[in-house]
Amino acid sequence: MKSSTYLKVCVGITAVWVLGLLFVPPFAQALEQIMLLFLSTNAR
Amino acid sequence: MKILLQIIGILVLLLLVTLGTLKLKHRDDDGPSILFPGGKLISGELYQGPEPDWSFTDDVFTIELETSDPVSSRRIFVMESDGRVFVPSGYMRSFLGKLWKDWAFDVEDGAKSAVARIEGIRYERQLVRITDPAVVEGVATKLAAKYGGGATPEAVSATMKSVADGDTWIFEMAPVETQL
Repeated sequence: MKSSTYLKVCVGITAVWVLGLLFVPPFAQALEQIMLLFLSTNAR
Repeated sequence: MKILLQIIGILVLLLLVTLGTLKLKHRDDDGPSILFPGGKLISGELYQGPEPDWSFTDDVFTIELETSDPVSSRRIFVMESDGRVFVPSGYMRSFLGKLWKDWAFDVEDGAKSAVARIEGIRYERQLVRITDPAVVEGVATKLAAKYGGGATPEAVSATMKSVADGDTWIFEMAPVETQL
């Protein structure tokens, strides 16, 4: 993938991701559960 | 190889975007999310009256705890022991703990005022770090029984060692001192 195309893909994915986090509560909650699971098993 | 690096780049980007977005999204909320700190606890009746019988917290898995300077709130375990009520803060000597548990360092530095919201009722308290082994033993027993799968001698001993080593800090949610 060319750099310019890659940057466009990054911007697009980021925009969709942020909108999902802000406006789709189950999506944000699921990600938080995954992060909490990671922290509780790996934090030392 | 380039494709692999690009995929890793996107994953790292999404992780950073997630952390930043959710932290900003929740920082002024009336209470915390599952993982991210919230703001001031606003809703809920403010408890007025004699010291409660904290044994009711045995049936409460987590509470919301607001600390001051800076004001923030988080979900946290709660343990009643000998009529007093306590909250733990773990991972205190780890890198993640230093990032994740900044509120506990703020309390240790003097920001002791706190509000606990338990089952919708807000309780004004002050946080006092406990290191007395006699008190810690009762708290460790409750912590192991309630959250560790059972208060076996090994589990209690491990928790007490964690507290003695400074990996886990225990705070009493003590009554607010009245200024005379």
